[in-house]
Order: sequence, then C-alpha cells, then structure tokens
Amino acid sequence: MGAPVVRATSMDRDIVAKVAKTAHLTLTDAELDRYSRDLREILDYFRVLDEAPNHTGVGVNPVEIADVLRDDVPRQEFSSEDLLKDMKTYKNYIRGPKLS
Amino acid sequence: MKIGLEVHVQLPTKSKMFCPCPTTDAPAPNTHVCPTCLGMPGSRPVLNRQVLVYGIMLAKMLNCTIADTTWFSRKTYFYPDMSKSVQITQYDHPIGIKGVYYLNGRKPIRITRIHLEEDPGKTKRTADMSSLVDYNRSGIPLAEIVTEPDLATPAEAREFLTQLVTDIKHTIDLPESGERSIRCDCNISVGKERCEVKNVTGLKNAERALTYEMVRQVKVLKAGGKIDRETRAFDETRGVTYSVRKKEMESDYGYIDEPDLGIFHVGKFAENIKIKESPLNMTLRLAKQYSIDEAKAKQLVATSTDLAALFEELAQATDIPTALTWSTSTVTANWKAFAARQIPTAGIIDAVKKLHAGKITDTECTLELKSYMTGQSAAATQAASADLDTLIGKYLDEHPEILADCKKNVRAANRVIGYIMTQTGGSYSSAEVVASVNGAIRKRL
Amino acid sequence: MTDADTLAGLKRLNNTYQMFHAFTADTDPGDAVFLFSAKDNLTSKDFETCCGSRILEGYRPVFDATAIANLRRAGGKLIGKTNMDEFGFGTFSTNSAFGVPKNPFDRERSCGGSSGGSACAAAILDGHVSLGVSTGGSVCCPASFCGVYGLVPTYGRVSRYGLIDYGNSLDKIGLLARDPAKLKQYLPVIAGKDPHDPTSACQPPLELKGAKIRSVAVPQEAVEGISTDVKNAFENGLETLRSLDVDVEYVDVPELRYAMPAYYILATSEASTNLARYCGMRYGRQDGDYTLGFDAYFSSFRTDYFGDEAKRRILLGTYTRMEGFRDRYYAKALQVRMDVIDAYKRIFAGHDAVLTPTMPFVSPKFADISQMSAVETYKTDFLTVPPNLAGTPHLNCPCGYNAAGLPVGMQFVTDHWQEDKLVTMAAEWNKIFNVRVPEVKA
Repeated sequence: MGAPVVRATSMDRDIVAKVAKTAHLTLTDAELDRYSRDLREILDYFRVLDEAPNHTGVGVNPVEIADVLRDDVPRQEFSSEDLLKDMKTYKNYIRGPKLS
Repeated sequence: MKIGLEVHVQLPTKSKMFCPCPTTDAPAPNTHVCPTCLGMPGSRPVLNRQVLVYGIMLAKMLNCTIADTTWFSRKTYFYPDMSKSVQITQYDHPIGIKGVYYLNGRKPIRITRIHLEEDPGKTKRTADMSSLVDYNRSGIPLAEIVTEPDLATPAEAREFLTQLVTDIKHTIDLPESGERSIRCDCNISVGKERCEVKNVTGLKNAERALTYEMVRQVKVLKAGGKIDRETRAFDETRGVTYSVRKKEMESDYGYIDEPDLGIFHVGKFAENIKIKESPLNMTLRLAKQYSIDEAKAKQLVATSTDLAALFEELAQATDIPTALTWSTSTVTANWKAFAARQIPTAGIIDAVKKLHAGKITDTECTLELKSYMTGQSAAATQAASADLDTLIGKYLDEHPEILADCKKNVRAANRVIGYIMTQTGGSYSSAEVVASVNGAIRKRL
Repeated sequence: MTDADTLAGLKRLNNTYQMFHAFTADTDPGDAVFLFSAKDNLTSKDFETCCGSRILEGYRPVFDATAIANLRRAGGKLIGKTNMDEFGFGTFSTNSAFGVPKNPFDRERSCGGSSGGSACAAAILDGHVSLGVSTGGSVCCPASFCGVYGLVPTYGRVSRYGLIDYGNSLDKIGLLARDPAKLKQYLPVIAGKDPHDPTSACQPPLELKGAKIRSVAVPQEAVEGISTDVKNAFENGLETLRSLDVDVEYVDVPELRYAMPAYYILATSEASTNLARYCGMRYGRQDGDYTLGFDAYFSSFRTDYFGDEAKRRILLGTYTRMEGFRDRYYAKALQVRMDVIDAYKRIFAGHDAVLTPTMPFVSPKFADISQMSAVETYKTDFLTVPPNLAGTPHLNCPCGYNAAGLPVGMQFVTDHWQEDKLVTMAAEWNKIFNVRVPEVKA
C-alpha cells in the first residue's frame, strides 16, 4: 500500500486522533493519552503476527460459505408502521441531523 | 485532455439487492423497507440471484474478464442516508476486470472494472436544516462501471454514455427511471492533475459538468496557475462545479470482507449466461458480412434487431439483393403489425423464396406478404391494393403531364406519391404507396 | 424448583444475582414445555434488546432471532434476556451498562463473559437452558466460571438471523445448561439452514448418533501459564478420561500463539464496522440535537453512549483496517486464521478432539478485575480463542472445584460439524462427574 508501515511501538497521539475522527468518537486529551497507551500495548502484543507465515487461500469465512442466492421475488414481511414505530419521523420520512 | 468515468447504473431487478423489498412504485417514503435495508440490529443480507446475472451480462457486454471467484466488501462511512453506515460493495475481487468497449465501433475505451454494490437512501433538507431520509432506495442494486481516462472530450464522454445506455437497455433492459438515474463520477484532467466531479445525474449533466470543469481548468492554467487535485460537486441549477470541503469527502473507508454473504463461483455461473449482440455491433457486422450500405443496415437494426436477423435468414434462403430489397421495403412497411401478432417468420420467408424462384410476381409477393403479416385476408388485401391502383390510375389519367415529366426526371413521381398519401390519409404505408406509384408509372411508360 | 417456582422467585433472584436485564412478570408457565433465557444480543419481540449497551436502550425488535423462534415453536417460554458485556466486548460481563451478573458460587466474583448472565441462569435455575453467544470464548468462559456445560456449535450451524453482530465471521450461538441432556435435546432445535442467514446454508445435516471421543490431543502451550488449581483440576480430568479408555497425548501446536492477535484483529475490525450504525438515528436512543451537523451529531451520540471497552475496540478495529495498516494487520490476520484451521485439521487427522483447560484461572474477584489492563484481559482468552477463530465446535465440561469451591472447566474441541462427539462426551462425562449445584441465596 502507499503509506509507510508504522512500527507498533510508535502509536502516536496523532494517529489515534485520526482514528477517533474516522470512527466518530470524540476523545478528551486525557482519553487520547489513555487509549494511545492501551493501543500501543495491544499492538505491541500483536507484533508476533509479523513472524507468522503467509497463506494463499480465500479466507472470508472459517468454513466454506459459497453460492448462496435468493430468487428475485418481491415480498414484504413487515408493515411500514411497524418498522417505523420507534423512529423519529415526519410525514413518513425518517428524521436525521443536518446535512451541512 | 483526459476523461475517465465511473458510471453507476441501477439494475432493473424486481426486488432489492440484499432483501426482498420491491424496487418500484413505492406509495410513500419508507414503505419499501425492511429490517435489512434499514440496517436494523440483528438483520442480515441475502444476495439476489438476478443481480449476479445482470452483473455478469454487463461484464460480458463490456468484454471483461470474469472473476473465477468473487465476494463482497464493507465500505464504512457515516452519512444519514447510510442505514448501517456501511455500504456493501466490492473491493479487491470485482466480478469483471480489463474490458474494452468500442465507441462507434471504432475507438476502444478501456474498462478498468465492473462491480456490484448497493444504493444508499435519499436525503432532503428541511427548513431548519435537519434532514429527512427516505430509505426506499436503500439496497437497490447498482453496477459500477469504471473506465480508464480514454475519453478525449466532454462531447465524446456524452456519446460514450449514450451508446452505453442504449446497449445496456438492449442487454438487460432498463426502465425509464433507471435510465434517468444514471449517475457518474467524472474525472477530468486538462493538464497533469485531475479533478473528480462526483455524483452527476444524467447524461446531459455529465456533459455540462465536464464542459464547465474543462473550461475552468483551462482558465486556471492559462493564467499561470496550478490545478489542485480535488473532489468537486456539480450544481445543476447554476451549471457550475464547486469544490467540496475536503473534510466531507475524505474518508478512510477501511475495507474488509463481508462474511455474511460468503463467496460466489461466478466463473462457473457465467458459463451458462449468454447475451444478445448489441444493436451497434449488429449494424457493423451486417454491413461488413453482407457488403451492404451501413445506412441500410442501421435502418434494419433500428426498426428491430429481429427484422435484421430475418434479413440474414432471407439472405441465406435467397440472395443478398433480394433479401435487402424486400426487407427494407414491404417487410419493413408491415413490421409493426407483424410483430404485434407474434406469428412465425416462416410465412415471410416462403413468399420471398417463391418470388426468387420466379413462381410469383412482384405484385403477388407484395400482396402475400402484406396479407400474411397484417392478417388481412388475401381478398381484402387485393381489394385494398386494387383501390390504391385505381386511385393512382385516376390521378395519372387526370394529370397526363406528370408522365411526360417522369420521362425526364424520375422524381416527378413524388407529386403523385404526395397526393396519394394525403388522399389515403395513412391507410397505406408510404413504402407501399411508393412501390405502387412507381409500378403504375412504369407500366404506362 | 419447578418452573412455577422459578417464575415466582425470579424477581428476588435477579435482585441478588443480576442475571437478567429484562425478564417476564408472568408467574404462570402456562402450557410451556420448558423455560429458557437468551443473551441480550439476540432479538426478541417481547423484550427490549440492548446488548448490554446504553446506545440501544429502547430498541424493540420487530422480529425474533431464529434460535429464539425455534425454541418457542418447540414449546419453550422465553423468561428473560440475560446481562452481558456491551456488544460482547469482555471476559467478565463487567462491561455491562446495566446489571453485572454475580457468580453463584461467590457473589464477589465474576460469572465470566460475555454471556455471564446466561451462565448464571443455567447454574441456578433448575431445568434451565440458556442461549449464549461466543465470538472468542464468551460461552465456554462463563460456563467454566459458573460450573455448567457450555456447547458452541460449528460456525454456520445455527442461524445468526437476529443476532446483533460483534464479529460476523466469528459469532456462534450456543447453549448453556447444568444438565447436558439439554444440549442434545435443543441443539437440533436451534440448528439448521435458515433462508434469512446465508452462512447457515452450507452445513451438512446434524446427526447426533452417539459418536465417541476416543483420543484427545493436549497442546503443551495450553498447560503453561495457568494457575495451580486449574492445573490440578485439569490433570484430574485427564486421569478420569484415561479411566474411560480415552487416549491422551501431549502435542506441540506452535500456530496457536498467532491465534490471539489474529482473533482480536479480525474481531475488532468487523466489530468497528458493525457498530458504525449506532449513531442516534433509526433505533435505540435518538434524542440528540438534529441541528448539529451530522458528523458532530453522530460523534456526540457515540461518545456519550458507548462504554469504555466498546470505544477501545472500535478504535483498535478502525486502525487495523485503515489504509497503510490493513495489510500488516487485517489481511495478515485472515491468512493466519487459515493457518490455524490447517493446524487443527492436522491434529484431527490423528485425534478425535483437542483438550485444554477452558480458562487459565478460576473466577476472579471484581476488585481484581478492575485492576487489569486491557491487554491483560485479552490475554486471559488464550485457551478459548483458538477454536473460536477456527470456527470449530467446542464444549466446556466442569471438571473440578478448587479449595474454595470455585468451578474449573475443561474444553473439548472437535473438527468442523462434529458436534455429535461433544454432545456424547458431555453425557458420558456427566455420568461420572458430579456437577455441583450452587447454594442459591434468594
């Protein structure tokens, strides 16, 4: 890939801040420090994976799950009222935050 | 200048990609929804077979190499129209790659890849700027076709899209709504750096957006400036592209495999899927294979590819000139009526064969064809034809100077044709009138 | 305790043990054939389903999970939804935003996790069976700490329709019960192909015909780094097996040391995408300020309502699949999983099962748990993670009690689709091993 591989022990605050933003979590400075420390320890523990041999199979599921398809037949099991019952709606639209 | 397109086409399935919700004619917002397309916790996707079939058909149409095995991936990003904040799409194992598509049968446009993915819902803004979301569209299947930057101008890009849509319509069919909702991400570079204009709806807007962007880039470069590689959007009303704040568009999608669906052995699956020859390819092939005028081939194909196929049968059964003459005149004239009746072509082939063998005359052949194709009895056809002949004869008798004109200039017959067409008010096809008038004049001269 | 007794005393029991988040007010079993409970990450129409998280408070699913629906159809009455670590993130059920279940053998200790509430219910309610879910060990760990049988079928054996996802290539619905006959009775009820879940569609038929485990392989790696009381109980268990004519052989499985990192990478990568949908719209809590821009709206919600461990795992899982890190972590973990599966297949070519202790220690005190760092907690799963990563079926059998009377469990792992051998072993084991019933304080 394009970006350089970052050594597990240099899990700096900037990276964690970027990760938090991508994941839509707001962290205080103290939390940023704490989670950075945690992630650093955890990723350090993960380093052993670098020694593991490669494998060339297809590993999407641990057992083979293949060619499962359904027929193109329209069907509705639930009513719109039922599905929307606990949602914030307006004229059957679902409400959401500003699109900015 | 280089232009590349990422074209999103809605596939015309009856139910959605991962759930059985209907895809058309929703009575109101959020009425064609279910736990799966609403992303409700505990729901699970199941792939619609027809999506895979259409995907393979388009991949074949684009001459792509079809993957042996394909599967789906998760693209994670946050937006109110994303019911699970994840779009199920294809990342590193799309159904087709490395295709090529010939613009007007000549210029090759390389197809990088074609993959399948689901559509998100639709949002609109309210007065107070919060959003209203309709998830009826959430989960509708899309094919995304990505081209290399082989298109040279905005006009050429539009031509490409027009041709592509015609071919897609012919290969898998496409409803009006599907056609209108073709969406493109347009990539254009006048100099070295390219800009992407995202989410442009419709062919006309694609050309407008590309044209505006081209002009903008040229202006910047001419003034000695630099183009920044960036993502832009197109304002339909004002006809301009504008930069979208980086923050909004820059997302690390963090692709992972989608385990809920498993893998698909599409290589094997594709072996049993055949596609129809596209109209363009057929036109070119007919012109070449039978050494006929491309315009005539186009006329046949444009009326109906079935008619063009019949021309081929007639060419085998008789010869090319005979097949061509009769296909383009009487058979074309009565095609609409014939197609509606859904009867075999054998009757047409028999008539022309008899003519070719000298067993019947031109006139008799015309009558037999018309009668067979329209279902009008031979007698009625004959009578109608006789009526027409009488009308023509009457007019020629009343205007003897026309015959004299015709000796000098064959186009004088047009006066007769025009008159008869007006008099008969469409009861006879123009092809028939022309044939009859020319025949009558020939006889008198 | 009859079923009626159970229902009558449910509220008081729950006050003491906190096994249920939501439970029935019915005191009459009616025409129910049996009572069961289910972990609160399985959707139920008649109980709020929260996955131990505040962000899903108020979520009332419109459909029952297939496993629950099937048990109901077989005459079961769902009496409650059990407490768990938020979204399955945990080993001690202490990451629950609601009640934390108390170990029936010592209420200052954990029930294990993340299906802690289910194990607790199975241990103290007579004739009970509970549905749990295992991603990295969340059925066998609590089964071990609470001294009950826990069965995790092969990945794909039981439909996950209605299971609120943690890791889609790792989650499996399982059974916990004090009486192993319940495993044999209810596995066929919850197993089977379900058109709602493609991953359940490729299973061979489930046949419970009494196939036996005649030989087990014990990885050397599995008996290092475990406490003395676990070691002693485990070795007693091995002796008992030898007396049942089961062959026991120690083996080396070096691949096992890669299993833990690979598991945590795949699980958190998948989890971080599964949890992206929780953003204050459509289900659960939706009471935020819509005039905030969507990024701010989503962020504030998730920050306010996700617990600490959930945030940590989301951060970790987002990182491991980010551009620039994805190859080293996510893509590598996928490969390692295949390697671990190959390693198991090699062992199964010569043995019926792999056998290890289930957990490296007995149930810890809550006070001690609060001192553990994140990575220390993760490392305690090293025995349950390998079969979970490989998707192989596995079983916790209670095999002893330490000096303080706390349960110790051992874990049998068989090849894919061979639940039969585990079900038989549980039945045979129970004939000679006395599973203690905890003294219930009402």
